[in-house]
Formats: sequence, structure tokens, C-alpha cells
Amino acid sequence: MPRVHEKVSYWMLVLPALSIMVCFYILPVLGIWEIAFTEPETGVGNFVKMAGSNAVKTSFVITFRVAAITTVGCLILGYIVAYAISNFATRLTPLMVALVILPFWVSVLIRSFSWIVLLGRSGLVNDALIHAGMIERPLRLMHNELGVLIAMIHVMLPFAVLPMLTNMRGISGIYVQAARSLGASEWTSFRQVYFPQTLPGVLSGALLVFVLSLGFFVTPALLGGGRVLMISEYITYQIQEFLNWGLGSALSVALLVATALVLLISARFVNLRATLLERK
Amino acid sequence: MTDTTDFEAKRDIAELAVERYKQGRLTRRGFIAAMGALGVLPAFGQRAMAQTKEIIVVNWGGAAADILQEVLCDTYTAETGIKVTVDGSGPSAGKIRAMVESGAVVWDLCDSGAGSAIILEQQGMTEAIDYSIVDKSKVLEGTAYNNGVGNYVYSYVLATNPKLLGGAVPQTWEDVWNVKDFPGMRTFRKSVRGQLESATQARGVPLAEVYDALGTEDGIKASIAKFRELRENIIVWGSGSDSQNLFLQEEVAIGNIWSTRAHLLKDQMEEGTFNVSFNGGVIAPGIWVVPKGNPVGKDEVMKFIAHGQKPELQVEWLEKIGSGPINPEAAALVPAELAPFNPSSPENLATQIIYNDEWYAKNQVSAEEMYVDALIN
Repeated sequence: MPRVHEKVSYWMLVLPALSIMVCFYILPVLGIWEIAFTEPETGVGNFVKMAGSNAVKTSFVITFRVAAITTVGCLILGYIVAYAISNFATRLTPLMVALVILPFWVSVLIRSFSWIVLLGRSGLVNDALIHAGMIERPLRLMHNELGVLIAMIHVMLPFAVLPMLTNMRGISGIYVQAARSLGASEWTSFRQVYFPQTLPGVLSGALLVFVLSLGFFVTPALLGGGRVLMISEYITYQIQEFLNWGLGSALSVALLVATALVLLISARFVNLRATLLERK
Repeated sequence: MTDTTDFEAKRDIAELAVERYKQGRLTRRGFIAAMGALGVLPAFGQRAMAQTKEIIVVNWGGAAADILQEVLCDTYTAETGIKVTVDGSGPSAGKIRAMVESGAVVWDLCDSGAGSAIILEQQGMTEAIDYSIVDKSKVLEGTAYNNGVGNYVYSYVLATNPKLLGGAVPQTWEDVWNVKDFPGMRTFRKSVRGQLESATQARGVPLAEVYDALGTEDGIKASIAKFRELRENIIVWGSGSDSQNLFLQEEVAIGNIWSTRAHLLKDQMEEGTFNVSFNGGVIAPGIWVVPKGNPVGKDEVMKFIAHGQKPELQVEWLEKIGSGPINPEAAALVPAELAPFNPSSPENLATQIIYNDEWYAKNQVSAEEMYVDALIN
């Protein structure tokens, strides 16, 4: 049998996935770019309009703020979970990992609606607090940014836990033991020996959550009450309400560019290749 | 001119019938029949087979097609022997135009909006309404156009939940903006349609002068500013069912919602927890248009339109789906318990203005932009 050149055979393995990506992802995205520059007339009119709009600016600020807070929240909660699973729950590890992954089996839509049931004015949380006599009037837990953040942190949490967990499980306990035997306190050995080793996991978790949050749609639309207008919802609004494909496309191009910028800037501080590709 | 027909509102009316079914007001058979008809075009096939006279009426589908069939079409067939079939494929102005230009017109009568009707008339895509057959006095004033005539109405109304408000119910839009005396969340549509009129009245502008006050850029800005003022108390509704849910879950105490949704809520909410006021409301008509060169001929369609103007049929329409009668005479036949919810009863008409499509064609796009800005920035 004639031997196919090694490089060619690698490409052939990638080819099916690659061709699907090109046909159904790259080409449509290019189509969106084209619309952004050609409708209603050729030129950068849509972008000029976008830059001049206060609503668009605010929407971008809201989008980045929500994404940033979600990321921080997910990292803090996720780090604790990942740390506990990889260091303490030896026998329970499979169960704990299953619990982390479980939400993936439930649609984001359902999870968001569940939060509506919980956080509503006459929802479970408010009812419980009122009956316990802790508050007199229902708290406003949703239809604002707070509600969006609570639900988004919940939805995004597995994306933060999994990379950190993989990273932590690869860290040998020997280093911390060595530090402890040399007289470091528990806190010092964690801070100076353990934590730096987990940074690649933390950073890839952060990137994953942040980038996913930027384009998130369902949860903010359901729990934001219309006033936490993230860019993705704004795009829908332009296209559905006004059939304004030009501006809608321009917005999505801007979101894509902004996301790419985030990656570029983080690449200056983080070795992306090591973080995302060579995780061991 | 921009086409400002509110397709969402029309689709929403289509959705309503599903809820009527859930409440047991539509028969199961009727519901299944309508669902089976969804997305297919049985009318065309049958038409080619049987060369008999048949009128094709097109609306926005869903189970509302079933209501239209039952209330207006089947009764016409019973009376005249002429078959009338409803096709729910959504007669947007674009589709009507494409059909007329291609010369293959298969629709006879379309449920459109004032915005579309005006544009289609300008483009020469529709037949003139023959007012010797269709009775001009049997539609609301202002809904008889050259090439289009009103078929039903729906309103933007002030809905309130007295229980959440502690019994103090806002009567005017100025009250709605008074957060001190009427604390609680409000809901407005995620669009300026029918909403900017409320804010304008909250500025103290009398109802009749609302669109005059909105005639200038400054006037629009002043009304938009009212939303900015109130925004901490605003939750926005996107679809008709959103607005309904916000009331059902007691998320909001006050809202500007469609009368058709209010019609459902009055049955779903407990006694004493739901009120509707048409005071300062905006009433919007649906408009029949006839595509140029319609297959069955112009006269046949005009007779059908005239048939649909009968008060008793209009009342049945209101009972079944909440769309208000276009014929002012129908008001007298509306059962007493439904009258307060009828957008076109004389009492309610007196306190509303008619949705101004020309204003929307001119100003909607820029106003929407300002509206979003006011809500989030």
C-alpha cells in the first residue's frame, strides 16, 4: 500500500470538520461582513451610525461589564469547587464531576426560566424570605442586572470549573508537601506554591467564560427586563423589529472585533498557546 | 415611506386562539383542524381542481385563521353558497406586491395594516374599495381608505393590578408616571408603538393633541425623556405573551398592553386583581386590502367584506379572540360583561385616539433609537 505523506494524512483527518466549518460558519460570517458594508448602501455608513449612537455605546459597556463580573464570579466560585474536588473529595470525585457537568444536559432556556421561578417578585426566594419575616417587601432580584448576573454565573460556572479542574488534577501534591515540610504555613504554601501552578487553568477558564458571556443572549433577554440590553439582544432587536440587517450586521462585526481584541490583549499578558493548547 | 404595519401585533392575535383553546373556548376539533392546516396551502390545490367560485382570504395564520374561517367565512358560505377559504400565510406588503407584479394573483382579500394599505395604494398594487357595496358608515371613522377598509381593531390600554397597588388605581397616564402615589413596576412595549402616546399624555398634553405634540423633534425628545424619568420602574415586554406573564406572575402592577391580551387576562386573573382602562388608549385598526386583479373578481370580494361588517359577526369575533368590532353599531350587541373590554365601544372610543401610521412612517426609526437609549443609558 502506498504510504501517504504524514502531513497529508493529518490534513485528511482534519478535512471533514474543517469543511463543515468553512461552509457553515466561515462563509456565513463573511456574508455578514458583506451585509455590514453594503446595506442599505455600500460604505461604512453603518459603522458611522453605530459610533454615533449612545445606545450602542451603552450596550457595549453593559455587555463588557456583565461579562467581566460574570467571569470574576465564576472564577471565585469555580476555583473553590475545582480545588475541593481535586484535593479533598477523593471518593466522591466522580459524583462531584457529574454534578458539575449535569447542567449541560438541561437547556439554557430551561435554566433561565427556572431562575424566573426562583427570583420573581412572588418567586420562591422572595416568598421564603417574607415568610421567615426577614423582609417586608419583595426584593427586586430580577428584571435587572442582578438577576442577569446570578443566572449567567450559574450558566457559565461549568465552563470555569472544567479547565481549572483538569489543570489542578495534573498538579502533584508533592510540591505543597515539600513546602510544608520546609516550614511554610498552609496559606503560604497555597499562595506561593499551589496557586501559581493553577494559573494556566484559571486563565483559560477566564477566557472561555468571558468570551462566551460577551455573545450571550438567552439569559439576559429573559431576566434583564429589557433594560440590560446586551449587544446580542440589540442585534436581534435591529433585525427583527426594523429589518435593519445592515446595522445589525455591523454590530455583530463590532462584537467579533471586540472579542478578538480581548484575545489579542490577553495574549500580551498570557501565553495563549500554553494556556489553551498545551494544557497538561 | 416606511412600512409601519405592526406584523407582531397581528401574529399575536393569531397566537391568542391557542390560549382560548386551553381555556376550553375553542372546540378540540376546530383547534386540530386549524393546526393541521398550518403551513400548507390547501386552497391553491383545491382551486385548480374545482373551477367553482371561491374566495381566498389571507390572514396571519395560527389558530386565528380558524376563527376567521368559522365566524366570517363559513357563515358567508351558508348564506350564499360561495366557498370562502382562509389561508394563514401572512399577507405582508412585500408578498402582495410580488404576487401582483408577477401576474399570478391567487389571493382575493388580505388582512393588512394602514401603513401597508397606504403604500400598496401608492404603488398601485390594490383595488379601490367599492363603497357602494361596502358600507362606509359601518367602519370606524378614519379607517375607510380608498384602497383599504377596516376589519377589526385592537388597542393599547392601561392595565392595572389593584391588589398590588393597595387599591389605589391610576386613572390617567399622568398617574402612571406618579411613582410616589402609585408605587410598583410598570411594563411598556419594547418599541415606541402605542407607548410614546402615553408618555406624551404624561407630559400633560391632552389626548387629541398627542400627535401634534409629537410633530417636532423637541416634542419627541420631551416624551422620550419621560421614559428616562420612569425607567427604574420599567420592565419591558417583547411579545404579547410576555406582557401577559408579567401580570400573571405579579411582576408588574401597571402596564401599557394590547387589549387582546387584556381580554385574556381578565379571565385568568383573580377577581379584583385586574383592571383595564381605555382612557388615553391608542386604537389601531386592521385593514382589508384587495390585491389588484384578484382571481374571484372585485365585486365578489366587496360583497364578502360587506358580509363581515355585520354587527353580530363582529361581536362573535370579539368574544372568541378579543379583536374589537370595526362596526360601531356592534357595540350595542356586545354582552354587558364584555363591554368594558371592547376597544370600540362608544365609551371606550371617546377616550382613545387612532394610531397614526403616517407619524410612524416618518418618525418611528429615530424614535426607537432614542427610546432604547432612554431605557438603558
